[in-house]
Amino acid sequence: MSDKQSDLYPYSYDMTEVKPSMPNFVVIPENKEQLVKLVKFCNKYIIPIIPYITGNNVGGITVPVKGGLIVDFGKKMNRILYVNENMKYAILEPGVTFGQFKKYLDDNYPNLRYSYPFAPPSAGVVGNALLSGMNNLSEKIGSMGDSINGLEVITIDGDVARIGSCFYGKEEADPDHWYSRYPMPDLLGLFVNWQGMTGLVTKCAVQLWPKDPFEKNIVALFEDLPSVGRFMREVGSLEVLNDISAVSIEVVKMTIELPEPKRFPGEPAMIANCPISGKTQKLVDAKLEILQNKVKELQDEGMPVILEDIDDFAKLLNLRVRSFLDLPAVILSLFEYSGLTWFGSYAPSHIHDELIPKVDAIFHKHGVPPFIYMKNMKSNHYGIFRPIIRYNKYKEGEEERVHALLEEITDVCIDAGCIPYKTPEWMTEKMRKKINPGWQNLFEKVKKMMDPNGIFNPGRWNT
Amino acid sequence: MVEVKIDNSLHGKEFLEMAFDRCIKCSTCKFGFKNFEPSCPSGEKFLFESYWASGRIRIIRGLINGDLEWTDDLKDAIFACPTCGACMDSCQAPQADFLVDIIEALREMAVKHIGPGPNQENLITRTKDVFNPYGEQNSDNSDLKEKYGLPDQAEWVYFIGCTSNYRQKNLRDSTLNFLKKVGIDFTLVDEHCCTSPLIRTGQINDVKDFMNYNVEQIKKAGATKVITSCAGCYRTLIKDFEKFGVDYDFEVYHTAELVKQLLDEKKIKIKSSYDKTVTYHDPCHLGRHMGVYEIPREVYKQIPGINLVEMRRNRNHAWCCGAGGGVKIGYPEWAVDISKERLEEAKETGASIVSSTCPFCRTNLSDANDKFKMGFEVLDLIEILDQMTIEVKQEE
Repeated sequence: MSDKQSDLYPYSYDMTEVKPSMPNFVVIPENKEQLVKLVKFCNKYIIPIIPYITGNNVGGITVPVKGGLIVDFGKKMNRILYVNENMKYAILEPGVTFGQFKKYLDDNYPNLRYSYPFAPPSAGVVGNALLSGMNNLSEKIGSMGDSINGLEVITIDGDVARIGSCFYGKEEADPDHWYSRYPMPDLLGLFVNWQGMTGLVTKCAVQLWPKDPFEKNIVALFEDLPSVGRFMREVGSLEVLNDISAVSIEVVKMTIELPEPKRFPGEPAMIANCPISGKTQKLVDAKLEILQNKVKELQDEGMPVILEDIDDFAKLLNLRVRSFLDLPAVILSLFEYSGLTWFGSYAPSHIHDELIPKVDAIFHKHGVPPFIYMKNMKSNHYGIFRPIIRYNKYKEGEEERVHALLEEITDVCIDAGCIPYKTPEWMTEKMRKKINPGWQNLFEKVKKMMDPNGIFNPGRWNT
Repeated sequence: MVEVKIDNSLHGKEFLEMAFDRCIKCSTCKFGFKNFEPSCPSGEKFLFESYWASGRIRIIRGLINGDLEWTDDLKDAIFACPTCGACMDSCQAPQADFLVDIIEALREMAVKHIGPGPNQENLITRTKDVFNPYGEQNSDNSDLKEKYGLPDQAEWVYFIGCTSNYRQKNLRDSTLNFLKKVGIDFTLVDEHCCTSPLIRTGQINDVKDFMNYNVEQIKKAGATKVITSCAGCYRTLIKDFEKFGVDYDFEVYHTAELVKQLLDEKKIKIKSSYDKTVTYHDPCHLGRHMGVYEIPREVYKQIPGINLVEMRRNRNHAWCCGAGGGVKIGYPEWAVDISKERLEEAKETGASIVSSTCPFCRTNLSDANDKFKMGFEVLDLIEILDQMTIEVKQEE
């Protein structure tokens, strides 16, 4: 534990424009037993507890807005506890990172894979799952929140609860029994997406998937913005892709270090990445044929889209473009400056058609290169819409300028029905104005029941 | 957010500015990129964010913004780092190549406000007093010149470096023997500290004087080439002299580079056999700082009989020996612990010899080897070569 100012300071702010706030302590726990004592102590003396892995979220989630104690899981509670190869899941401590997990699976279980987001390799696997993050199997499996099999959590009174099929047994669970979250009442809902407001997760079982030996990566280039939404819905519904995500062409240029890129006439407006994989090359070829047929159909209807092999596309620009495929990786477009903020949201996928040009225009109005990243999830059951803004945190007036842009985007997107996640307080406030009173009352009641003294990550969701 | 104002008198001002323009703390600097192995000795030891490169960048911001006050509490976070550059290798953002410069700029600022790191003031007081950081009576190397029959003027100057001259004399003598054996036209000068330990610990006020002095000595010897067997001197002569605006018109070689060149040009041939299993430890100042990874390996591979094996973390992913950046003098026990971890990795290879190309690595690895009874023989590449029979082809 430390209370030195120099040790506390790096935990006081994140990459976003969220106002910094100092914690009073930072602790690095080694085990659950220490945390049980800590939670009891903090509840008795009403000391806020803020769970932290690497602080990579884009929403001020680990900024201790009311001071208190940062629990840094990333340094010691970062063990991969068990992998069940047969039922394809792994039991992890909260501090396990994507890079660590990938290496472990590649070294020990080469036939299994996890699903990786466009986050740096040092981002936490469990945090990503608990916050319903993205991944590169989204077309198949949807949100990472859906891939949690079970949790071990410490609740406010210091009780340790195991949730999911691991709930049998008084002491430790059989590691081979973390296989499902059903069919008992799904108490996972008390912790997933709660941003650390209801307890401390100490173990999490996440699903793994077979690693296909044959892969093909195709990109679709769009001449206009309105086509992208429909393309993603039509192609996403084919059920032949692992993932489908699209970015503004400016984002690709950022990857090759063009700092404030422009889109020139005749250039594609957006680009969608469409990875395919299969057990055999024949299967990959068949999937590709289905994709190509659909694209031909869309082209015949006048949609200005073309397909390219990613290798050819990468040659045009720079091999760095391949970092989009080789996850977990560092996508340079995200890491160029000292600040990054976003409106990350779940969205009904039909509104993408309207939102893409609208948000693109807002970026241009503010003189900022558009950075739109979007996905369709789980065979097009829903979509993800994420305008992102990179900026220099320390340039005079820049945070205010960026915030004005983000606020305008937020208003347009929430109006259209987007639901932001990993939300800063001000964004939740806007969202709460639209949420039905019954939900809000229930939310408040649950929060009160789970954390009567309000010590678990206070401030989140305006608590 | 108000624009930051940085003290114009700081030599590292441009790097402090970079700390504000760059780094969102993605934490990629914490682990080897793509091999995802622990790579930062400082972070792995002290754990808190303030001990990793991205945390130090935050400390810079806090100190310059006025969010943090200058107190002695800051010293460990600022000085407990061997500046091994593992963070530079891991980071993929535009500031990557400058992370050590950023940390050194933070140290420069710290020395002004709260003084040097623990015991590190000895480096400057001794160097000012006797021209070397070990506090040994300065040798003008005239005894060695006499012993080896070296001229006053020559094509090459062998810049011995303080560690070889005052602590690792066998390494120095092996270099001298080798240069004589292969017929290099070289001499020695009355050299002073290259300033590496001063720069690495942020004590930079006098470094230009030392640099200019050394350049003057080399010029006086009429040399057009300088060779050193010290990775720290090599890095300093090439990178830091330029950084401090000290110009010279000679070429700088590391011993491994000269040996490789002689072998490639078939001017020498190693005739005897070295039937041992050797693992090579990449010195940070030669590897990550200067990008020299393969040249030493190619030399080892040309030694008949040698079985060169790699440690799990090698080349750009190599775990630091723990001596650099002022850690050996400031945190001596921890420095040896870092080397212990390296030797444990060497154990996995089955090697009996741990070899490097840096006298400072040799010192610290040897200290750990002795302290923890690891049972290795720790030798520099040049010490191995000195044991070999070398055939020198006469120029036609």
